[in-house]
Amino acid sequence: MLEVRGLVAGYGGGEVLHGIDLFVNEGEGVIVLGPNGHGKTTLLRAITGLLPPRAGQVLLDGKDITHWKAEAIAAAGVIHIPQGDLLFAEMTVTENLLMGAYHGPTWSERNARLGRVYELFPWLKERGGQLARTLSGGERRMLALGRGLMSKARLLLIDEPSLGLAPIITQQIYASIHKVKQGGMSLLIADENANHVAGLADRVYLLETGSLVREGPADELLRDKALLESYLG
Amino acid sequence: MSAQAAVTAGVIRPKLDEAAAPWRRVSLYTVGAVALLLLVLPWVLLRLDIGTYLMTLLILFFVQAVVAQSWNLIMGYGGIYSFAQVALFAVGGWTSGVLVHSLGWNPFIAILFSPIVAVIAALGIGLPTLRLRGVYVVLLTLAFHELARVFAVTGPRFISGGGYGLVTVQTFQFGNAIGDQRTIYLYYLAGLIFAVATFVIWRVIHSPLGVAMTALRDSETYAVSRGINQFRVRMVLFTISAFFTGLAGGYSTHYNGGISTTIFDFPRIIDLLAMIVIGGWGTFGGPILGAGLVIGIDQYLVALGDYQTLLLGLVLATIAVFAPQGLWPLIRRMYETYLAPEPLAPPVEVSPAAPHDTKDEL
Amino acid sequence: MQAVWGGILFGSVYGLMALGLTLVWGAVRLLNLAHGAIFVVGSYVAYFFVSRLNLPILVALPIGVLAAAAFAYLMHLTFIRPVIGKPGFDNSTLIATVGISIAVSAAAILIFNPEYKVIPPVITGNFTVSDVQITKQGLLVIGTSLALFGLVYLFLTYTRQGMAIRAVSQQQEAASLMSIPVVRTYGMVIAISGALAGLAGVLLSPFFFLNPNSGFNPMIQALIVTIFGGLGSVRGALVAGFVLGIFESFVEVYYGVAWAQPGVFLLIILMLILRPNGLFGIGEVRRL
Repeated sequence: MLEVRGLVAGYGGGEVLHGIDLFVNEGEGVIVLGPNGHGKTTLLRAITGLLPPRAGQVLLDGKDITHWKAEAIAAAGVIHIPQGDLLFAEMTVTENLLMGAYHGPTWSERNARLGRVYELFPWLKERGGQLARTLSGGERRMLALGRGLMSKARLLLIDEPSLGLAPIITQQIYASIHKVKQGGMSLLIADENANHVAGLADRVYLLETGSLVREGPADELLRDKALLESYLG
Repeated sequence: MSAQAAVTAGVIRPKLDEAAAPWRRVSLYTVGAVALLLLVLPWVLLRLDIGTYLMTLLILFFVQAVVAQSWNLIMGYGGIYSFAQVALFAVGGWTSGVLVHSLGWNPFIAILFSPIVAVIAALGIGLPTLRLRGVYVVLLTLAFHELARVFAVTGPRFISGGGYGLVTVQTFQFGNAIGDQRTIYLYYLAGLIFAVATFVIWRVIHSPLGVAMTALRDSETYAVSRGINQFRVRMVLFTISAFFTGLAGGYSTHYNGGISTTIFDFPRIIDLLAMIVIGGWGTFGGPILGAGLVIGIDQYLVALGDYQTLLLGLVLATIAVFAPQGLWPLIRRMYETYLAPEPLAPPVEVSPAAPHDTKDEL
Repeated sequence: MQAVWGGILFGSVYGLMALGLTLVWGAVRLLNLAHGAIFVVGSYVAYFFVSRLNLPILVALPIGVLAAAAFAYLMHLTFIRPVIGKPGFDNSTLIATVGISIAVSAAAILIFNPEYKVIPPVITGNFTVSDVQITKQGLLVIGTSLALFGLVYLFLTYTRQGMAIRAVSQQQEAASLMSIPVVRTYGMVIAISGALAGLAGVLLSPFFFLNPNSGFNPMIQALIVTIFGGLGSVRGALVAGFVLGIFESFVEVYYGVAWAQPGVFLLIILMLILRPNGLFGIGEVRRL
């Protein structure tokens, strides 16, 4: 479904990604593991149009979306849930969710989609009028996820779902993501933390200083504790 | 080694590594040649029919170039979007004018006070304004400009002269010189001011202060984290800029024999802005080149009247968007490609990056 | 008391101009110094239709507003869109809008002449209420201004596009990740702002004579109001407009016209020292 070939990207004078090859099949959960600063966020940004790649290709169902604008990529069903949530701070919970359904055809179904998101995170309905910036860390993460799910997403790219969250909350978040996957969603998750990821992952890539150094089926790589510790400390 | 020995050892400064500070390598020959040319020029021009006309143009050029350079120093290099430049010029002009007109001072003495009062005004504007972000500086300096204008037009008689400004102010007298001879003296005086201003500005740009200001302009958070006090740097630059602008204003009053309230009209600001933008924003040679261009073209197109303004506005907007570097870097590059015997020093001038918002930093 | 009326009247106009400025700043982070020029475009177009084509002002007004909006959008396409996202954006657009401003002034002089023009008010007549003279046009202006603030508020809060504009103002990257077309949204905001400026122009011109530099002063006032009320805040523009309008009126009455401008200037400086974000601003000003 999503294929990345030889992706090169960077900021200013530097190059962060030195040629990434990966793919995500329909319904798969793919994890990109790697320490901070090694290019996970850059990778997701390059795929979803926030950062123009310098070389390489990104293909969605065979279509070349490499240089598409972010809004077009989102409209095509590739939804990026960014690091740090990037919520609309001065808008309410409900407004944030509604913005997730901005895309034309989706907008007309927004109430139905709200309903589905409320099933996943019921509290969003109760606290609909609360301003986004008054939410706690875990709540923001859930709102960001909910917002992403408001669209007709086919592939979710999630950047560090566990960032800055207490372990209990992280568990909740991952449980929710798991539910989403069970509904048939394809996932590409970038994370530093291998612990909670196990249940979701079908395949794992290891990213180190801008290059993929290992890849393989999840059960294989994640079982290798020594490997994990050496890469993630 | 002992602390004492270390200190004495450190005092011996290493010889200036030419390659490490390539910007110091402005050839003395170039400067000398230009200076010589400017000195000799009047005598040459006098032989020509339009000589006097050209000389007055040059005087105009000198004055405008000083103001343009001063403005470029704070705006192009310092990233301070101040629109108070003309107002400061006016402050300088009025100071000197009033001292001569109302108190009967000698213009040569009075003009010394122009820069001082302009600096005081600058301090007054700068203290509240320079702490704030770019947008606010624009507004507050524009407001100051308006304030100054209103004051000049409706203020007490000895300033406003009934709303038209100062007229019949005594001009510079050089002994008994009149006519062309006098013009030559005026030329030299203007040239002197231009030379001093240019030199000082050049030194500032290529000094630690200059490095600090470009650092602040290009990457504010980093510069501040390295201990550069943004406010202080801005104040110093603003003051220097005001000094020379005020001086130019004072000269202008006694050259023209007065100063008019039309000086506050928007076209004046636009002309200056055009000099900087077209010439080369944030470059050393830019405003000088721009001043020459704008004055020259101005003379040529003066018949077009308002079409000229229309054109100027459009040109300004177009260059700002599509060629923000201005002409100077282009010319410099052509020089380096075709004429220079060896690669010249990388220019200190950088592309006109605006002061960044902190929240845009990665 | 006449001063209060005058203050409210001008306050509502300043507020209207400020609304356009603050919207554009909030969404595009652009300080539009051509705002006054757009004011002039709207006014002159309306004038043209009234005086040369003899259309009633009621018809000419919406034409003027549309012309202003179109002009603003054209400006966006030509001078703003090309530099969006580039590091020199603030720079380039500042100068570009200044350039456009004087170009419009000059064009107005060339197409029409520099003489002051007269635009008829939409409603004529006045009446007196406890020795305050009130013009009907004045009431119209105030009413329109309030109505527009209300409309804009409703638009921003309850419509898809309006919410999108707010989203783009707050978190531009996230907005594009929701398939909100950011650059098109910029264009929309600029066009709306242009329409507001044009409207202000046509409504206000009957009070003064129309000349090519008509827009400059309202724009300065609008800038002051915007900053006083808080950059990017709609509420701020509304409140600050009235506060400053009334303040200016009072200063004029008690201290003379010459003190009006300096008075406002001082007030603004005070505000910036005490509360740099303005009345309702959202924490953007960084103090050094």
